[in-house]
Amino acid sequence: MQQEAMAREGSTGLPAAEFRQGSALRQLWETNLEVFQRDRMALFGLIVFAIFALVALFAPILAPNDPLTPLKNNDGDWIKDALPYWLAEPGEDVAEGYTNDFLLGTTNIGRDIFSQLIHGSRAALLVGFSAAAAVAVIGTVIGLLAGFYGGWVDSVLMRAADVAFGIPFIPFIIVIAAFFDPSIWNVVIAMAILLWRDTGRVIRSQVLVIKEQAFVSAARVSGASNLRIIFVYIAPSILPLSFLYGSFAIAWAILTEASVSFLGFSDPETISWGFMLQDAFLSLALTRGAFYWIIPPGLCIMLTVMAGFFIGRGYEEVLFPRLRRM
Amino acid sequence: MTILSIRDLKVDYATQDGTVEAVDGVSLDVAEGQHLGLIGESGCGKTTLLKAIVQVLPRNGRVVSGKIMFKGMDLLQLPPAEMRQLRWREIATIPQASMDSLNPVQRVGSQLMKLLRIRGGYDKRAARRRAADLFDLVGLDTDRLMHYPHEFSGGMKQRAVIAMALALEPSLLIADEPVTALDVIVQHQILEVLRELEAELNLTVMLITHDISVVAQVCDSVAVMYAGRIVEQAAAEPFFHAPAHPYSLGLQQAFPNLANPRDELVSIEGYPPDLREPPSGCRFAERCPFVQADCHEIDPRLELVADERLAACLRSGEMESLRKQAEDPALWQQVEVAQGFASTPNPSRHPYGGHPIKREGLTSPMPSDKSFTPSVGDGDGGWGGDNGEPLLEMRAVSKQFKIGGGLAGLLRGDKEQTVYAVNNISFSLRRGESLGLAGESGCGKSTTGKLLVKLLDASDGEILFDGADLAHLDSDDLLDFRSRSQLMFQNPFEALNPRFTLYRSLTEPLIIHGWKDENQRLQRVVETLDRVNLRPAEVFLDKYPHQLSGGQLQRVVLARALVLHPEFLVADEPVSMLDVSVRAGILNTTRRLARELGLATVYISHDLSLLQYTCDRIAIMYLGEIVEMGPSLEVINNPQHPYTQALIAAVPVPDPTVENPPLRIQEGVPRPTERFIGCPFAQRCPEVMEACLNIRPPAITDEGRHMAQCHLYGEQRDSPKVKRSPEATAAG
Amino acid sequence: MNRGVITYIAGRFLQSVMVLWIIVTLLFLLFRLAPSNPLASYIDTTFTKEQEAALLARFGLDKPLGEQYIIYLLNLARFELGDTFSYSGKSVLDILSADLPNTIYLTLSSLLVAYGVGVLGGILMAALRGSLFERVGTTFTLMTRAAPTFWVGMLLLTFFAFQWKLLPSAGIAPAMVRFRWETEWDKLLSPVFWRHMILPTFTLAVYLHGLPLLLMRSNMLEVLDQDYVTMSRLAGYSEWRVMIQTAARNAMLPVLTALTLGIGYSIGGNVVIENVFSWPGLGRTLVRAVQQADYPLAQGAFFLIALIIVFMNFIADILYSLLDPRVGASAQAQVS
Repeated sequence: MQQEAMAREGSTGLPAAEFRQGSALRQLWETNLEVFQRDRMALFGLIVFAIFALVALFAPILAPNDPLTPLKNNDGDWIKDALPYWLAEPGEDVAEGYTNDFLLGTTNIGRDIFSQLIHGSRAALLVGFSAAAAVAVIGTVIGLLAGFYGGWVDSVLMRAADVAFGIPFIPFIIVIAAFFDPSIWNVVIAMAILLWRDTGRVIRSQVLVIKEQAFVSAARVSGASNLRIIFVYIAPSILPLSFLYGSFAIAWAILTEASVSFLGFSDPETISWGFMLQDAFLSLALTRGAFYWIIPPGLCIMLTVMAGFFIGRGYEEVLFPRLRRM
Repeated sequence: MTILSIRDLKVDYATQDGTVEAVDGVSLDVAEGQHLGLIGESGCGKTTLLKAIVQVLPRNGRVVSGKIMFKGMDLLQLPPAEMRQLRWREIATIPQASMDSLNPVQRVGSQLMKLLRIRGGYDKRAARRRAADLFDLVGLDTDRLMHYPHEFSGGMKQRAVIAMALALEPSLLIADEPVTALDVIVQHQILEVLRELEAELNLTVMLITHDISVVAQVCDSVAVMYAGRIVEQAAAEPFFHAPAHPYSLGLQQAFPNLANPRDELVSIEGYPPDLREPPSGCRFAERCPFVQADCHEIDPRLELVADERLAACLRSGEMESLRKQAEDPALWQQVEVAQGFASTPNPSRHPYGGHPIKREGLTSPMPSDKSFTPSVGDGDGGWGGDNGEPLLEMRAVSKQFKIGGGLAGLLRGDKEQTVYAVNNISFSLRRGESLGLAGESGCGKSTTGKLLVKLLDASDGEILFDGADLAHLDSDDLLDFRSRSQLMFQNPFEALNPRFTLYRSLTEPLIIHGWKDENQRLQRVVETLDRVNLRPAEVFLDKYPHQLSGGQLQRVVLARALVLHPEFLVADEPVSMLDVSVRAGILNTTRRLARELGLATVYISHDLSLLQYTCDRIAIMYLGEIVEMGPSLEVINNPQHPYTQALIAAVPVPDPTVENPPLRIQEGVPRPTERFIGCPFAQRCPEVMEACLNIRPPAITDEGRHMAQCHLYGEQRDSPKVKRSPEATAAG
Repeated sequence: MNRGVITYIAGRFLQSVMVLWIIVTLLFLLFRLAPSNPLASYIDTTFTKEQEAALLARFGLDKPLGEQYIIYLLNLARFELGDTFSYSGKSVLDILSADLPNTIYLTLSSLLVAYGVGVLGGILMAALRGSLFERVGTTFTLMTRAAPTFWVGMLLLTFFAFQWKLLPSAGIAPAMVRFRWETEWDKLLSPVFWRHMILPTFTLAVYLHGLPLLLMRSNMLEVLDQDYVTMSRLAGYSEWRVMIQTAARNAMLPVLTALTLGIGYSIGGNVVIENVFSWPGLGRTLVRAVQQADYPLAQGAFFLIALIIVFMNFIADILYSLLDPRVGASAQAQVS
C-alpha cells in the first residue's frame, strides 16, 4: 500500500474539497455499508426486517380477517378449530373439520390464525425497534458521559449500572406490567430502564480506550474543545458499537415481548406472537398436536430474533476483526 | 561443525492481496558454538525465517522449497511428532515479545517446572532443583519462582524466558529481538547475561534483531537480511569495520553513535520493495546510492567477496571506494526514490515569515574545554547569548497523580496512592533552542512533555509560556497557546484518527483556530506536507492513515504539529516505533525544520545518542527529578551524576571492538510512590554516601551551564561511603 | 491469598450490600407508590371502613411512608417477609422456601448440561475454525438462542409428553407421590422427580448452551493468538496440551464468570419455563402472586431473586479475582 502511495503519479489538480472532508457521517455510512456488503448473514437479517416491516405496515390490507373476531360460517356456526386444508390426507373429505378459507386454520374460538400472525408482526417490530432505540441511545449517552468525564459522574453512573445488573429482568417487567395498564409499552419502558447497562458499560470502556489514543490528545493539543472531541473524534468511533448493541437489543426485545405476552401480561386487545402461543397453550393445542397453530408464531419470533443477531454479528465482525480471522 | 544449514529456503504467505514471498532463497550456515546475528528491518523476513526453522508458520504461510538441515536431519521432512520432540530440547526459541510469553495465570516457577517435567522428563524434585539453578543462572532470585508474571518487571520476565529457553540444554538457541522494548540499563544487563551464558555453556546462538549495536555486543558473526534475502554475511569484526553491501553501509551510518557522533545521519530513503511483486533486479537498487543500470536487470547472487565474506552486490569489487563515498549523507539523498522528496535545507529562506529566528550560538554545541568548576545555583542557568527572554520556563514544577481511592476505589478496596511523577523541576527554553529529556521508563519525562503542552496541569510550581502562567489562561489565551505549542507523538499508527483522511486530520487544527476559507486551509496543508517531504503533497490528501507506512505517517504527524506554525514543539520518542532506515530521515527533517522555523523543541527519548544528535542541551531525569542538565556534548562526554554515567555506559556501541564496561548499578527503578528524604538515586547509586540517604543533594552548576544534582560535588562530598552488601544492590 | 485480595473482597462485599439496599428501596417505592391499592384484591365491597382500617393496620399500611420504609428494611434484614394475601395463613417465607429448592435444582441441572456442552462445543468450534462444521454449528447455536424458550418447551411437550407419551408434562410429581416425600432428600432420591425434570432441564439447556459456546469459541480464538500459546507450541508441547491445558484453561476464566452470573440470572429468568412446565418454583409463584395482586408474596419473591443475583454477581467477581492473579493486583499494576 505504501508503494501505491509513493508510486502513484500525483495529479497536480487538487481534488474537490468536499470529497476530502471525510466526514464522520460518511465514515459511519461506510461502516454500515461494509457490514452488509461483507456479511451475507447480516444482509439476510436486514432483508428479514424489511419484509416484516412491510407486512406490519400493510397488515390490515394483507390480513384476510380481523384477528380478534371469532368467525362464523354461512350457517352462522362458529368456525372453531378448523384445520388448514393442506393438512388433509389426500382423499379425505375436506369439508370435515378442514377449511379452505383459512391458510393456517382457526383457533379454538374461531379466530383466523394467519391474520393473527400478520398482525403479530406489528407488536414485535414496534417493541423491538423502539426498545432497541431506547437501549442504544440511553446506553450510548451514559457510556459516553461516564467514560469521557470520569470522576464522580463515572462513579454514579457505573453504580447505577451495578444496580441495573442486580435487578432480575423478567420479574421486573412482570411487576411493571402488572402495575400499569396492560400495554406493549411496558416492555419497552422496562427494557429502557434496565438493559442500557450492557451497552453503557461497553461503550464506556471503549470511550476510555479512545480517549487515551494519541489522536485525541493531538486534537486537545490543537485546541479542540470537549464537545468537539466528543462529537468529532469519539462519537463516530462509538456509534457502530451502539448499532451493534442496538441490533442485539432488537432481538432481546422481541424475545422478551413474546415471553411477557406468553405469561399473560400483555394487552389482550393487541395481537402478538407471544399472545398467540399463550392462547394455544391455554387452549390445550399441545395435547391435540395443533402444529399449524404452534409452529408459525414461534418461527416468526425466531426469524426476527435471528435477523437481529445476524446484523449484530455483522457489526461485531467489522468492529472486532479478530473474531473473524480464520 | 555446522549445526544448522539452510539451503535455498523459500517461504510464502497467502494474503488477500496476493502471495508475499517473505523469504526468497535464503541459504545460511550456523556452526556449533557460533553466535550469529541476523540483522534486518521489519518485514525483511527474519522472523519468518525463524518460524520456518521451528515450523510454527501461521496458517497462511508455507515453505515452498528448500532444505533446513539440523544435525543431519531435514527438518522439513520430519514427521510433526518428531519435530515437536526436537523443539526446545534441541532448538529453543526466545520469541519476539517474550514479555508476553509467560502464561499470566500460572506461577513462573510452575511453568518452568512443567516444562522440565513434561518435556525434559525430570521428576518433581529434580525439576524443582533445576528450576532454582536456572533462576540462579540468569540472575533471578529463587524466591521469585513462586511469583506470577505480572509481579515481574520487564527485565525479569526476559530473564525468566531465557531460563526457560536454557532449561533443556538445547544445542541451538534462537532469540528474536531479545532486548527490544527494554530500558537501556535492563538491556545492558540482559545482554550481559546472554554474553556470560554463551561463554559458560558454549551455546550456539542465532540472534535476530534490527539493532546492529546489539549484534556488535553479543555476536561473532553477522548476516544481513533485506527483502527476503540475505545480502551480506561476515564475521563481526570485518563487518563492522568494513561492510560489503551498500545496505549494510547505510544501516551503519544511519545509527546515531555516542562514541562517534556525526553531524548529519545517513537516511536511507524510500521503503523496501513490495514482496508480492519483487523487482527482477537487485532488491535494494531503488534505495541504493551506487545504483547502476544493470542493477535493475541482474539479480545479484550472494557470493564470496573475500575470505569468509559473502555479499550480494554487483559492485562488490569497488566496495573500498564506495565505503568512503557512503559517509556523505548528501549522497544518500540522490537515490531515485528520494527525488520525490529531495530535501534541500535552506535556513536562510523563511517562507513562513512568522516569527523572528534567533539562532546565535545554536549551530554547534558550546565548546567543552572549560573545566567543571562547581558552584551552587538554582539548577538552571542561562544558555547561550543574552538573546531575549526565554519562551518557556518551568519553575519548580511538580506533578502528582492519585490512583485508586475515590468512591470507586474505596468500594473496590484499592488503597489510594500518590505517584510522584515529576518533582520540582526547573528549566527554561529559548526560541530556536532544543532540549532533550532522557531517562528510563517511568522517570517522568513523558509527564513533563504533557505538562509542557498543557495536556496535564502542574500540581505545584509554574509553567510560563511567553511570560504567561499556563495554569491561569482564560479561554482565548488558551486557544492562542494551543496554536503556538504542539506535540509530536511516539506511535504514528495511533496519532492520527483512523477515520479521517490525512487532509481532514491536517485541516482540523486550522478549523479549530478559525480558518474559515477552505482554499487557504488547503494551501496551508499542501505547503506543510511539502515541507515535511511528503511530495507531491496532493497524493497524500485523500489517503487514510492505514494506507501509509510508519515513516510516512510520522511525517504526517510532524506536518500536523507544524500546520499552525507553532513556536514550540514537544517530540515524544519521535522515532522509537520506526524502522532504523527511516529514523534518520525523520530526525533530519524535524531537526532541519526546527532550525528553519526557529522552533523551541523538547525531545523526549530513552536514547541518548539520538538526543545528542538532535539537541543543544540534555536533561537527565530520574524518578521525576532532573539529576543532570547541560550542553549535549558536555553531558555525554563528561557526565557528572553517577546515574548519567551508568546510562551512558549502558548504551551498546555498534562496534564489536568496543566492549561496554560492566555496569555498576542494577536494573529496576523503584516505584515513584514514595518521597525520598535524601537523593532519589541513593538506593541504586554505586557512590552512595551517608549524606545521600538523608540530605537532599544540591544542584551544582558549572558557570550556569552544566548542572548536576549530586552530593559528590557539594559540601557533603566527604561524607562517608555507605557500605553495602552485594546482595542488597543486586536485589533489583 | 494476599492482603490485596482480601481488601478487594471486602470492598466488593460492601458494594454488593449497597446495590442490594438501592434495589430494595426501589422495590419499596415501586410497590408502595403503585397506582392501584395494594389491598385491592383483599378488600371486597362488603368491607366496612373500620374493617379496611384494621386491615391496613395489620399490614402496617396506615403508618407514614418513612416509618413504613424503616420497618420494611428492618424486616428484610431479619428476613421477615410478612404474610401472603392469597394463601391463607401462610407466610411468604413458607411459600418461597418451598419453591426455592425446585428452582435451584432446575437451574443448576440445566446450567450443568448447557455449560458442559457449551465449553466442549466452543473448544471444538475454535479448533475447527473456518470449517463448514463450524459455520453450521454456530448458526444452529444462534437459532437455539433465537427461539423463545417457552416455544421450544411447547414443542418438546407436544412430542415427548403428548404425542409419544414418553415423559411427564407438568409439575414435579403426581400428588400421590409428592405426598409421600417428607424431606428434601426423599424428593431428590425419587426417580419420579428426576423424570419430571428431564424436559424442563433440556429445554433450558437448549437455550443456555449458546452463551458459553460462543463465549468459549471467541475466547479460544483470542487466547490462541497470545504469545504464551505460541511459546508453548515453540516449547514442543503436544497440540492437545496447547489447546486444552494452556489455551482452554485461560479461555475458561470468563466462561466460569458467566456461569456464576448465569446461576443468578437463570433463577430470575426461569419464570417462563416454570410456567410452561408448571414447575413449582419461584418464577411460577411470582407470576401467580402478581396475577392475584398478592403484593407481599410478589415483593418477597422479587427480593429473593434480586438477592440471589446480587450475591452471584459478588461471587463472580471474587471468583475471577481468585482465578486470575492479575485482578487483585490491579492497583499495583497501575503504579508500575
